[in-house]
Amino acid sequence: MSNKTITMIRKELIDAARDKRSVMAGLYYAVGAPLLMCGMFFMLIGQLTSPEDLNININNPQGAPDLVKYLSSKGITHGKNEDQVEGEKVDTKDILLIISDDYASNMAKGISAEVTLVADASNEKLQKSIRRLEKRLQQYSAEMGSLRLIARGIDPRVMQPIKLNVEDQATPDSKAGMILGIATMTMIYAVFISGMNLAIDTSAGERERNSLALLLSHPVSTSQIVISKIVAVTLFGMIGLLLTLIVSKFAYSFVPWQELGFSVSVNSRFIGMMMLIGLPVAIMAACLQLFVSFLAKSFKEAQSYLTIVLMLPMMLAMAASYDIAPETLQWLPVSGQLQALIEFIKGRELPGMQLAISSLITLAISAALAFGMQKSLKSEKIVFGL
Amino acid sequence: MHHGMYSPRKMGVDPTLTLRKKVALAVVIWAAILIPSVHALPLTLSAPTSVNTTDNSCYVDGLSERMNCGSISVPEDHDRPEGKQIQIHYVVMPAIKSSGKSEALLAIAGGPGQSAIENAQGFDQMLTKVRQSHDVILIDQRGTGQSNPLQCVADGFESPLAINESDFDTRVETQKCLDELDADVSQYDSLSALRDFEAVRQHLGYQKLHLYGVSYGTRMAQLYMRDYPEHVATVTLDGVVPMQQSVLAIGDAIARAFDLVIQDCSNNTLCHNQFPELAAELAQVDTELAQAAKISTIADPTTGEATQLTMTRSKFKGSLRMALYSPSVRALIPHAIHQASQGNFQPITGLYAMSMDGAGIAMGMHASVVCAEDWPRLTPQLRASTAKNYFGREMLKTFEQSCAVWNMPAVDASFSQAIASDIPTLLLSGELDPATPPSWGEMAMEKLTNAKHFVAPYATHGVAYQSCGNNLIAELIEKGAVSDIDGECLNKDIRRNFYLNASTVEAIPSDTEQTAQSEESSLSQETALSPKKALNQ
Repeated sequence: MSNKTITMIRKELIDAARDKRSVMAGLYYAVGAPLLMCGMFFMLIGQLTSPEDLNININNPQGAPDLVKYLSSKGITHGKNEDQVEGEKVDTKDILLIISDDYASNMAKGISAEVTLVADASNEKLQKSIRRLEKRLQQYSAEMGSLRLIARGIDPRVMQPIKLNVEDQATPDSKAGMILGIATMTMIYAVFISGMNLAIDTSAGERERNSLALLLSHPVSTSQIVISKIVAVTLFGMIGLLLTLIVSKFAYSFVPWQELGFSVSVNSRFIGMMMLIGLPVAIMAACLQLFVSFLAKSFKEAQSYLTIVLMLPMMLAMAASYDIAPETLQWLPVSGQLQALIEFIKGRELPGMQLAISSLITLAISAALAFGMQKSLKSEKIVFGL
Repeated sequence: MHHGMYSPRKMGVDPTLTLRKKVALAVVIWAAILIPSVHALPLTLSAPTSVNTTDNSCYVDGLSERMNCGSISVPEDHDRPEGKQIQIHYVVMPAIKSSGKSEALLAIAGGPGQSAIENAQGFDQMLTKVRQSHDVILIDQRGTGQSNPLQCVADGFESPLAINESDFDTRVETQKCLDELDADVSQYDSLSALRDFEAVRQHLGYQKLHLYGVSYGTRMAQLYMRDYPEHVATVTLDGVVPMQQSVLAIGDAIARAFDLVIQDCSNNTLCHNQFPELAAELAQVDTELAQAAKISTIADPTTGEATQLTMTRSKFKGSLRMALYSPSVRALIPHAIHQASQGNFQPITGLYAMSMDGAGIAMGMHASVVCAEDWPRLTPQLRASTAKNYFGREMLKTFEQSCAVWNMPAVDASFSQAIASDIPTLLLSGELDPATPPSWGEMAMEKLTNAKHFVAPYATHGVAYQSCGNNLIAELIEKGAVSDIDGECLNKDIRRNFYLNASTVEAIPSDTEQTAQSEESSLSQETALSPKKALNQ
């Protein structure tokens, strides 16, 4: 790299640092996004897990005192519990258990006694509680069934003709699945957001301030100008990514993941891997944003164009993290890298081939965009925003 | 259905299916001091996959999750490091969200003779909260599970159902077992095993361990506290066997638990109305069977084929004794006694079938521990008091013969000294425990300066499996101190009704009028029976 290019890069960075707005925009995302995600996960965990003491409504509880007592010993109680202080508000879930009138007499005869469970299974917040109640009822039923067989001199093991052994190959990390995908997506998106303002400012902004023409009149080639701008924006993107990762590392450790039965940890190995894989994406982000900004006539116009253009990597990232991506997506920029990262975080083998190809494609796109920019800076239309 | 079928039975039964012609010795020696860790779940004999390699991911029976298995090689005789080597197998159940690798929980199984790894599922369920932040280590103690198990299987008996235990020659069978074992049985005592545990800790690289011992496992935990206090962070003793106590005194605890179940029934209106003469009926069947065994033809509990049942006093009382370990199976006891007094031994046969395999106990290792550590401590005084009840007498008879064959060197007298320690220690006892009564927990407290002892009024053996005791363990590990731990939640009334016939635990309505009546009585039972009253009589 020639001395001129380095001087140019320094100029771009000094310019960028002076523009407080660009710097802050990057920072806001890096700090804000992981914190917002954490807040969201906190709420999600609260909703997905069944409360320790699950209050439900039981019709005719005196029809099956032993069953009611069993449920209560497992933390599932009838809404109006005597233990609770009068007037205290009890959070009763919208689940109704109806014990039939002939429960006791059927039970005594050794035939099935009916219990009806009434609930809305489409209610996401209730699902875990409903499943918990069903599981407890099945356990109670199975326990009584076993004891009934014992009472008749039969080994209850004859009721289990098949013993199913399940060997789950998931690791605690891989169980995090979609949540990890979303978290990784917000991280990689940092390279787009952090550099965006700088990209606009250094292209459309520079033109608006009429300093672009001045710059071009100096004895530097257009390619040197383009490279210096790309480097500056990329650097900003990478700083934003690093900050996001560091904030995530601390913020995510406070989320009680274990309540969902898995862990999400942002360790230094992951940070290193992310920075490495993120670099081509950051370069592409810089090229894309600069290219689009140069095409725009004004700062304002560049902002609106970029918002639309940034939808594209967002869609790619979403498709990858929700695991709804068709096969071809794994070769494309952003989605390819994201899928590789998710595999890595799940403790599986890094798909080297796929990652290499998608990174190469990413760099090729960047090169094409950079070439386009270099060409366009020779056009008066672009330089003067005509 | 999967495991859920039997898991709630919480009986110390581990249905490793024995071959028909081979009878696990433990079945015959009913008097043996079985102190199984409760909650053992149905398991097969199949070993966890790939457990023979050192340090590998593997699966254990009953859990779908991937675990880390491994084994270390230790000398069979620690004083002769160059001599024969044996493999000690362990499983690490990884923490869901690890709080660093320096601390882990070591869960120690009971017996003596039970495999910790075979009970992985029970430990996992009970220690769910602990596992959120800590690894849980299970070690198959030497002589159990996969660590060179000392199994004794008696040949030449037709079926465990047909056998008459009084025809069984303990001395001959024990000798036969000893001859078949490829091991120096004198090396399978607790102290040798303790050095294995410490070697596994070093191998895995944990700085400190939280200990959880259940039943006989509490003896191992106490020895760990005594010999390696610098590596112990906290200790939970559940179903405590104090060092001062020879387990041969268990006969008293069994008799006490029998009394309690009869008392509980008579205090419960429904049960009392259904079985008003329970104590007399128990005594009557016991006397009849003591005179002569009853031989009949029944359908085999498992195969359904016609087979001979020799109902002996040993089978009768032994089955009931095993039923006392589990709160849910315990509920069947009054019905089983009543039916037996009517000449129907079906419920007893059902209970017996569940314990036919000897609760997964490696009888050779069992004998090594008891003959080295408990038999020599039998003073004439203790012998006299033990001989007062049926189980005590049977036990003395059995170990008199088997320990003579096993010929273990007696432990040092210092073995019986109470543990003096300031390590945070939580002691849990079940009021209804048929093996380690609350008074034993009190005895273990003698020189523990930083300990708390809680008695769960409705729990049997293995309190943490049956109550909020497991949450207390999680709390202890999190806080690292016992001072803030409040055992109030143990008092929650979790008792279930007794079975009133072969089908129901609810009041039996015969017609509408009586329905009203029994509902009323079931209510009065709820109010009349203040939680502790039934037990503290």
